[in-house]
Amino acid sequence: MPVKRWALVLFMVTLGLLTVHAQNPPDLEKRLADLERKMKQLDPAFVPAPELTLIQRLDALEARLDQALTARTAVAAQAAPATPPPSAFAPTQAGPALQPVSVSGDFQKAADSETRLPVAGYMDFHVNKLSGDSFRPDFHRFVLLFGHSFSDRIKFWSELEVEHSLVEGGEESGEVALEQAYLDFLITPKFNLRAGMLLTPVGIINERHEPPAFNGVERPFVESIIIPTTWRELGFGFTGDLGRGFRYRTYLTSALDASRFNAEFGIAEGKSSGFDASMRNPATVVRLEYAGVRRLALGASLYSGLAGYNTPGINPRVTIASFDGRYSYRRLDLRGLFANTWVSAAGALNQRLRQQTGVNPNVASQMRGYYIEPALHVLPRRFRHDVIAFARFERYNTQQAMPAGYLPLQQFNRSSWVTGLTYKPVPDIAVKFDYVFNRSQSRVVNSLNGVNLGIGWWF
Amino acid sequence: MVVLMRLLLTFVAAWGLLQAQNDAERKPDRVISISAERFTFNPSKVTVKQGELVEFVLTSEDTDHGFRVPGAGIDVAIPPLGRGEARVRFIAREKGKFVFECSRPCGAGHNLMRGTIEVK
Repeated sequence: MPVKRWALVLFMVTLGLLTVHAQNPPDLEKRLADLERKMKQLDPAFVPAPELTLIQRLDALEARLDQALTARTAVAAQAAPATPPPSAFAPTQAGPALQPVSVSGDFQKAADSETRLPVAGYMDFHVNKLSGDSFRPDFHRFVLLFGHSFSDRIKFWSELEVEHSLVEGGEESGEVALEQAYLDFLITPKFNLRAGMLLTPVGIINERHEPPAFNGVERPFVESIIIPTTWRELGFGFTGDLGRGFRYRTYLTSALDASRFNAEFGIAEGKSSGFDASMRNPATVVRLEYAGVRRLALGASLYSGLAGYNTPGINPRVTIASFDGRYSYRRLDLRGLFANTWVSAAGALNQRLRQQTGVNPNVASQMRGYYIEPALHVLPRRFRHDVIAFARFERYNTQQAMPAGYLPLQQFNRSSWVTGLTYKPVPDIAVKFDYVFNRSQSRVVNSLNGVNLGIGWWF
Repeated sequence: MVVLMRLLLTFVAAWGLLQAQNDAERKPDRVISISAERFTFNPSKVTVKQGELVEFVLTSEDTDHGFRVPGAGIDVAIPPLGRGEARVRFIAREKGKFVFECSRPCGAGHNLMRGTIEVK
């Protein structure tokens, strides 16, 4: 009670002082005029009316201020929509410690801005033609991505794909595949946990395969054959940003299945994709990336795991080392990748698979591939549309080194030139055309060239 | 008395508005360019001084991204490559480390597209 009484006394004294200070009518008038002038600075539409009484002028000023405050609140709400309530992990949350002042930029001016949907996704429609064959249209990929934030620290991400547009039981057709579905537990920028169905972090394309993100209708051969695509496994691991542009991901994942290795596609068909996978001998994969210089991205990946859970008595170890880089300078883009795969006990694996199936798969003990792709943005930067001319040279050999007693099949020692154009009316739509010159070291098997048309989009 | 009270309230409200207008119009103490690309911000760590008026100029190298500072009421769209930039101004009131993140789903690495603002 005494506190309340003192507060009341203090309030009355303050009010009295203010009243005494402000009771001089000319002073009052001057201050009101000053306020009206400032209001006009804020809102040029406001017109002072000195002929009115003091009360009327105050009413007008008050009404105008209310309007300005209402408009300001609406703009702030538009600029910062629905912010979730702060989570229990307070230390890295920004409260009033970072006070937003203003938001501006081109996104507010765009009259033709996109409509936002609660899901993301990408689609890929191709028309492929090999020499001597007819044009074959294919709605290759229809992919929807869903994410959800349980809190600012726990997030879910998923990717569900329909390939080749049709899925029917027991018939050769497309597939419905869960490409990703994982939870991220964000602890510190340097150390986070991830668990679920994970994309194996090897190479460029496996984690960045949205159609506008690469040139060419089809993904590079090296990143389809030497490195499986889309390679996903069940597992868990750690991710983080080490600072100075360095990031890492390291996972323990389900193993490759060596019973599906072969001469043509190397280890690519051994991915489990989360179905009937084995974690008895989990594989280890680690990727380190550097993106500390603008428009330069470098990456190195190392994968190692036993793959013999379907080949009793034989447990070959698969090791993959890959290095990749992307760089843009003005209107020129450059990207390249090198990958080498080792398969231990390949001779014993071939013998065991021949016993199981009656066919020698001729699995190599080493597979190797690389590609380099320069690309030029043909139109000047001021154009809203983008046309990219590119040429990609790829060398990929799934018979690089053979175990004792096995000869390499030279038709699988291949190279390709992929040349073409990518047209982007907006950055997220890519209309693609390319011509593919395929060659192999075989004198018997003739490699076919091909032409591809495609349109892909991301939203 | 009523007139005086209303005058006082009006004056305080007008002063607040003018102050906010001044922060928005005055030259920022620091302007920092941040580019967004699947799935990184570059730079991903930004250091500013306490009390500074900071302006982030946000651009994208590919698709559109978002820039959100959880709990601070900052959440803006970054337009895609070639479609301009977004500018965010804020005052770093307190020392500490604050996470910013992409708020627009952009692909497999979206959840980890994050960075840190360190206020010293």
